[in-house]
Amino acid sequence: MQALRPAVSRLAAVSWLVLLSASVSGQSTPDFTGVWAPYRGGRGADAALAAPPATPLVLKPEYAVPFETRRKTEAEAAARGEPIASGAVACVPYGVPRMMSVALYPIEILPTAGQITIVAEAFSEVRRIYLNKPQLPIDDVPPGYYGHSVGHWENGTLVVDTVGIKTAVPAYQNMPHSVRMRITERLRLVTADILHDQITIDDPVVLEKPVTYTLAYRRMPGYEMVEFVCDNNREFIDEKGGTHLRVRER
Amino acid sequence: MRRPVCAAVVSAGLILVAIPARAHHSFAMFDMTKRVTLAGTVTAFEWTNPHAYIELDVTDEKGATKHWSIELGSPSILMQGGWKFKDLKYGDKVTMVVSPLKSGESGALLSSITMPDGRVLGNGPLPPGGRQ
Repeated sequence: MQALRPAVSRLAAVSWLVLLSASVSGQSTPDFTGVWAPYRGGRGADAALAAPPATPLVLKPEYAVPFETRRKTEAEAAARGEPIASGAVACVPYGVPRMMSVALYPIEILPTAGQITIVAEAFSEVRRIYLNKPQLPIDDVPPGYYGHSVGHWENGTLVVDTVGIKTAVPAYQNMPHSVRMRITERLRLVTADILHDQITIDDPVVLEKPVTYTLAYRRMPGYEMVEFVCDNNREFIDEKGGTHLRVRER
Repeated sequence: MRRPVCAAVVSAGLILVAIPARAHHSFAMFDMTKRVTLAGTVTAFEWTNPHAYIELDVTDEKGATKHWSIELGSPSILMQGGWKFKDLKYGDKVTMVVSPLKSGESGALLSSITMPDGRVLGNGPLPPGGRQ
């Protein structure tokens, strides 16, 4: 194992040089700066601009069975009016990748030298994408909500690689995932004011094959982000995990 | 002098209600197939996260007062639907349509409200392209 380390280091250095050369080769990079709101499909939407359908979510059998059992339990609890609480009920932030699309809340993209910062209005979440740097080995990233993200440009598309997401952080459709999960995003302008983020999740422990879905956004010129501090949370969670509203008597 | 009250279940069938998109919790606590009309007096308007709330006293024909806690979207979602933080204050008379808690407690999710100045507001905007 020790003997492999110099080779791994050389590979990482070569990868970094390739990324660096791409960044200085004069390729134009579109400007994502600004606030973007989710652009949903449905009535009145331009189908050509809406997000394309996702690929199937295919879990390995040992994860698929408990996943389906959990979904059935969740449906029964919802029918009773006691929906099973997610972390968000306790105002725990979503993390990557779910923070990229929370209901109707916008995100703000802030490019600076060597970095792109994304602020999500819901729960005031922040993620940082470091440009033209090699990715760290997964085992070197402490599992967290945002992990470690690196990005580079490929012909006008921002390609982002994220690792280091802890297993308690929700992913696509609340699928289970391991710390081996790798998230690849490809952000590109479909038109001047429509942005797509194609997200591919790969997890060799949990998934039979990677799942890919796309988020669509519309530009919101002039929008000022609204603060979101979760200081009046009236929802509470019972001993079975069900969600309830605390009703006041007066 | 409190406004006479009108609190009635207007329908138990399937009704499409304009609701804010889920961010904080599922809406399965509320019976979205029901719409109840409440007319009453605002005792508090809390412009807060993760939700705004209207506290409402509703007095029936016999003079008995029942208190309701009405959940709204967050300030961000409400602002996208035309709300302002100072739209309501203590003592305002309002009429609203809500979806009540399935538990039977006097809590509900706002669907629409007629403000003291006559404006009718929803619980957030419809997204471009319609409901989610």
